Amino acid sequence: MDDRSQVRTADDDWLDAVLRDEGREHRARYLADDGFTARIATALPAPATLPAWRKPVIAVLWTVAAGGVALALPGAVADATHEVVRMLSRQPVSLADIAASVVALGMASWAAAAIALRSD
Amino acid sequence: MAQPPVADAQLIARVLVHDDRHAFSELVRRYQSAVRATLRRLTAGNHALADDLAQETFLLAYRNLKTFRQEARFSTWLYRIATNAFLADARKRKEVLLGDTEATVADDDEQGTPQTGNSGSDHTRSANLRMDLERALAVLSDGERAAIVQCYHNDLSHEEAAYVLNCPLGTVKTHLLRGKLKLRAQLAAWAPDGQEADHG
Repeated sequence: MDDRSQVRTADDDWLDAVLRDEGREHRARYLADDGFTARIATALPAPATLPAWRKPVIAVLWTVAAGGVALALPGAVADATHEVVRMLSRQPVSLADIAASVVALGMASWAAAAIALRSD
Repeated sequence: MAQPPVADAQLIARVLVHDDRHAFSELVRRYQSAVRATLRRLTAGNHALADDLAQETFLLAYRNLKTFRQEARFSTWLYRIATNAFLADARKRKEVLLGDTEATVADDDEQGTPQTGNSGSDHTRSANLRMDLERALAVLSDGERAAIVQCYHNDLSHEEAAYVLNCPLGTVKTHLLRGKLKLRAQLAAWAPDGQEADHG
């Protein structure tokens, strides 16, 4: 016999009945919306959209950064450029190489975009 | 021909995947009545506070929707958020309102002589009983009232009530037991003849 049944007496039945009747009425009653849903809709946080100026600003920043590196290390940049031109001119580039490069660049861009969006 | 209503799970998926505000508004429209009515019960009839807490409930639900694992019904999950919001608010107010609450209860005791309405019509009697029950519920502790509201007004099982109240099953049963003892004392005048005397 648990605690609950120990105190269950005859008068518990009328109280149970009163509470159950009241519960039925409570569930059947419908509260009119009265603009409640609209208030919630306006109170929701603003959707996370990227500002329109973001892309051009990032492009400008990268250009400035690259220019800064070129100015700071002119010798190293010149050497690297010469080396790349030399490698490309010596070795014939196949279509497969180009496709692989495009895919690799694409994957890197998507990964960077995903990381940037997630951090937003 | 009217289209069948979209299932809750579909609306939830739309909100999660596409941040579909219309889908979320539809969920609010479906459950606003139940949540607000429950909070009105929990706040002992304070409609303004109940609506504030209901708004907080839906905003929290929106922010935490990705944590909803569908282990319970969406309505039960909302009741859980609403009850947590109510209990947190009650804890915040407790220190400020402690003196006022005691005064209110004392006032209720003075003016709240149960109106058994035996002389009136069934309708009057029922209305009087409802008012007395509302007053009696206001005397219960927050936990006891929450347990009574979830089990009787929202028709949840004890297990569901334990989930909503975020407490062990035994605590729910204790709250119900103590709450009903207090209600029985408060509503003694409504007991059928002889039964209150039996109870002591």
